[in-house]
Amino acid sequence: MTVSRRGMIAGGLCGCAFGTRAAARIAPGAMLPLVDAGYRPTDADERGMWRDCDRAEEELAASNLLVDAPALHAYVSGIIHNLLGERAAGSRLYLVHEPTFNASMAPNGMMVVHSGLLVRVRTEAQCAAVLGHEAGHFCRKHNIAGFRNRVHRQSAMAFVAVGSNVMAGATAMAGGNGRSWIDLANNVNNGLFASMFAFDRSQESEADAYGLRLLAEAGYSPDAAAAVWQQLIEERQASAAARSKHYRARASAFDTHPPDAVRMADLSLSAREIAPVPSPRRDGRDEFRRAVAPLRAMLLDELVKQNDPGASLYLINAHATDGWDGTLRFYEGEAYRLRDAPGDGATAARAFAAAVVFDDAPPVAWRAHGYALLKGGHGEDGRRALARYLDLDPHATDAAMVRFALNQ
Amino acid sequence: MKAVRGALIASAMILVSCSSTRQVADLGFRPPEGSYKLIVMRPDVSVGLLTAGGIVEPRDDWTDAARTNVLQAIATRQTGHGGVTTVAATRAEAGGDAVALAELDRLHTAVGTTIQAHKYTPLTLPTKAGTFDWTLGEPAVAYGKATGYDYALFFHARDSFSSSGRVALQAVAFMGCMVGVCVMPSGGQQAAFASLVDLHTGRVVWFNVRTSTVGDMRTADGADKVVAGLLDKMKTGASLQGKKVAVRE
Repeated sequence: MTVSRRGMIAGGLCGCAFGTRAAARIAPGAMLPLVDAGYRPTDADERGMWRDCDRAEEELAASNLLVDAPALHAYVSGIIHNLLGERAAGSRLYLVHEPTFNASMAPNGMMVVHSGLLVRVRTEAQCAAVLGHEAGHFCRKHNIAGFRNRVHRQSAMAFVAVGSNVMAGATAMAGGNGRSWIDLANNVNNGLFASMFAFDRSQESEADAYGLRLLAEAGYSPDAAAAVWQQLIEERQASAAARSKHYRARASAFDTHPPDAVRMADLSLSAREIAPVPSPRRDGRDEFRRAVAPLRAMLLDELVKQNDPGASLYLINAHATDGWDGTLRFYEGEAYRLRDAPGDGATAARAFAAAVVFDDAPPVAWRAHGYALLKGGHGEDGRRALARYLDLDPHATDAAMVRFALNQ
Repeated sequence: MKAVRGALIASAMILVSCSSTRQVADLGFRPPEGSYKLIVMRPDVSVGLLTAGGIVEPRDDWTDAARTNVLQAIATRQTGHGGVTTVAATRAEAGGDAVALAELDRLHTAVGTTIQAHKYTPLTLPTKAGTFDWTLGEPAVAYGKATGYDYALFFHARDSFSSSGRVALQAVAFMGCMVGVCVMPSGGQQAAFASLVDLHTGRVVWFNVRTSTVGDMRTADGADKVVAGLLDKMKTGASLQGKKVAVRE
């Protein structure tokens, strides 16, 4: 395919969009909230967006994705209140079974927190850092701004496309080559398309900065935000390494978020700007741990079933820096058992044996320990462990099958 | 050359303003009669503004007006059909367990979308050729048992109107047509579908799709046209023979 001269020139101009780095850091103090307590939209497009969000919320509220944990719900709602103050009255929290690292806040105040977030952050301040970022999108009305940006740019792209058709037709009628107009239009539109993603990235940077401010104003350590990203980068590296892949530090024109490392560096800089000297601030490690404790086994179960052993084992070991317990050891064993690489069977067996030493070992740890012993030829000990499992959980769904195994 | 171009534009103009419905049904289907009890599930209606670039901007005031008109039109149209019809304006009015009903409604949306994708496009499924046997299964039967309804009617409608930007875009595109490069962006349009579920078997027994480039569901008359086009003239499965059949309005 030949590219016309006009196309080349336009391509060169628009090529800049591809080369630009993520948007420059935004100073946390430089922004004003666009939403106050009791805010209601007045513009037609924003009202329409709220209506759509209300519908989505109605579906979510009546869905089996919700995590049934009233105490944890109240605790996380409290964190949102710490961050948003009076404005929190307009927000509603939904904890959902979704094992990915994320949370979101819709313009109508619907805050969705994934179970995958709860299993990754380890302090209240870290949790608040992520919720603060989402609240940053909310306070700065990013959803409607993003929608308007897409509408305007797509409209411009449509006019460029049909306009070039007219020019191409007219040029062809005059005996010229109309193709160059089409090339020109394609190049201009490629640039416009890429700029939509640049807009998304600048919103993310703004939400990072605004979230940091909310975090600090609520009395949490602003360093918690960078800590979340540090752990996420390490998790992704561990995940990639386990799959013999290179960790890709994302930096393409079509990313919706800035590269992780850039975000982390900006967050650290902004944290120093807000709190030049690290001062003792609320960290909430014990509070968070206590609040999540009743769901810990479920969260770890969702995690290891992601079939991402690199990430699972990284996170389990990260949790273990606060001390091993029976639940954590059991899921460490599960991660190895499910990975099933050479030697993993023995590693898993050791983890299960270590798990049942702890008082908090879940009943299923005894089952896993029992079967591992049977496999290793320790029939007597294995049967004892399986019997213990049945003692602890006589109505387990697989109780009949385990009894059958015991009677073999 | 000029004549051909003129004919193309003329045919485009004709295609631009039309309404059509095409229905399909279970082979043994007969329109409900006698002393049946029918629940019309909360109609899923959304009306928006078609912006120049093709993104539809949802509008809450237009949607509210259209929904009110659709509910009114369904209530009016169903009274003459015998049986007892209940029109649920909200999910709560449809009765049954709230979460189970929400699941059933979402399941229907997925099944209805699948029927549209595989009965109304060239992407036909080999196992579904000449038959119409989609089902919502046990959850629909359980809902029927809990509430006492015999049939559930689901109704979805989308409507959009061209913004001034979209009209301007079409004007520029029309200039392209005059010089031989003719790509005409579509204007606002209506797309609606309705389906009838037998709550004793859970099966989707009848399905109808209506598309139109004219009409306005924000008005009582426009909403009535959509409802009438979809729900009147329900055919028996025997007459449709497992094929989708276009029915003139």
